[in-house]
Amino acid sequence: MLKLEGIHKRFGTLHVLRGIDLEVARGAVHCVIGPSGSGKSTLLRCINLLEPPDEGRILLEGKEITGKGSRDGVNFVRRRVGMVFQQFNLFPDRTAIGNVSLAQETVLDRSAAEARAKAEALLQRVGLADKVDEYPERLSGGQQQRVAIARALAMDPHVMLFDEVTSALDPELIKEVLDVMRQLASEGMTMIVVTHEMGFARDVADGVAFMDEGLVVEEGPPAEVLDAPKNERTKGFLGLLLEH
Amino acid sequence: MDVILEQYFDISLIIDEFDPVLDGFVQTILLSVFGGVLSLLWGLVLAVLRQLPGRALAPVRGLTIAYIDTFRGIPLLLVLLLISGSFGALALEGVIPRDIGIPTFFGKPDPFWYGVMGLTITYGAYMAEVYRAGIEAIPGGQMEAARSLGMTHGQAMRYVIVPQAVRTVIPPLLNDFIALMKDTSLVSVLGFVEVVQAGRDVQSEFFNSSALTLGALMFLVVTIPLARAVDRMIAGQQARYQRAQAGP
Repeated sequence: MLKLEGIHKRFGTLHVLRGIDLEVARGAVHCVIGPSGSGKSTLLRCINLLEPPDEGRILLEGKEITGKGSRDGVNFVRRRVGMVFQQFNLFPDRTAIGNVSLAQETVLDRSAAEARAKAEALLQRVGLADKVDEYPERLSGGQQQRVAIARALAMDPHVMLFDEVTSALDPELIKEVLDVMRQLASEGMTMIVVTHEMGFARDVADGVAFMDEGLVVEEGPPAEVLDAPKNERTKGFLGLLLEH
Repeated sequence: MDVILEQYFDISLIIDEFDPVLDGFVQTILLSVFGGVLSLLWGLVLAVLRQLPGRALAPVRGLTIAYIDTFRGIPLLLVLLLISGSFGALALEGVIPRDIGIPTFFGKPDPFWYGVMGLTITYGAYMAEVYRAGIEAIPGGQMEAARSLGMTHGQAMRYVIVPQAVRTVIPPLLNDFIALMKDTSLVSVLGFVEVVQAGRDVQSEFFNSSALTLGALMFLVVTIPLARAVDRMIAGQQARYQRAQAGP
């Protein structure tokens, strides 16, 4: 489904991604863990071309999306790849249902009625049927994030990217978002999840990649990487987390 | 004290000359409305052009910046004189269309439309910068979310960024409108009778400034409520911002 080969990304002199190779099969859930500054977010943003990589190739469903012809590449990618952000990034001047409908109408040319029906169904699916007409400022962080997930799902993506989507949430609100993500995974969505939630990774992920300083240091099934890491740096990082 | 009152607040003169001054003020309002609406629109166009992305569009951005710098950098009076001084000649030589060189839309004389043009050209530049501040203040995550959903830059601007930006910059835009309204008085230099010129005519006939005082009061009837409206809007925005920071 998704293949990254030799991805490099620099911001000025800062070499953030130093040669990333990653392969994600259809329906698989891949978690990416690692310290701040390791390049995890940048990696996600390369996949949906928010930050085009400086070197390397990305293949989505067999089609190369980097390099020449990138204009078509961008549209091809963004209609197949959905992203959910740490800061939610909901449109504050639109209601929940407005947020979920907007891109359906402007990008996919769905009629207002069609978009609204789909938006209602998705908001119900994420447990917010009673909040469809609320503005984001009246929603809790967990609710806003669930709207954001519904908004991305409304575009019928083939791959969903999650960029530390629970890191900005109060602890008691994290579960409701992770539950939606678990549900999504069980329904067969291909997901790449940058997260600090090791419990989620252990339960749901098919593969875990530990990133440090722009490289994938260790990769494998969650039981291996999280419970029996081979690499010293992986052990060090996980040790820091478990201390809390 | 009596002399001051007589010079500036001669009631019988104010009553006698009320109609001409009001007629002048109606022209002031018309100049303000036409100039204001057009400069609000033109300013938005300039603001959008100014931040079109990509290397290919750098000339567009450059020209727009040059335009904005130029017309914020020279006096409106100069612009008005440049237009009125030569547009007629340019039209007669066929360099510019007659309707632009010697405009007479809606039966208004050409100094009126030169005034509207000058106001639009100049205040458009000021408003462009206000819009730009509004657009740049929108968090980057908004554009990222819109682009991630598959919207083009243009769609993101139109449906996500600009609506939010415009809402936040209504107070400074209104402030610019108030300034524009006062600057309509410069069109008097082109021989057009708006409220200041009407007041001056009375002043030179009677050697008394009361008609100008009357004109000033007419201005205040409009500008003071507008200024209070701006204050209320800013307070409302502040309250909403505080609530948003506090969370639900």
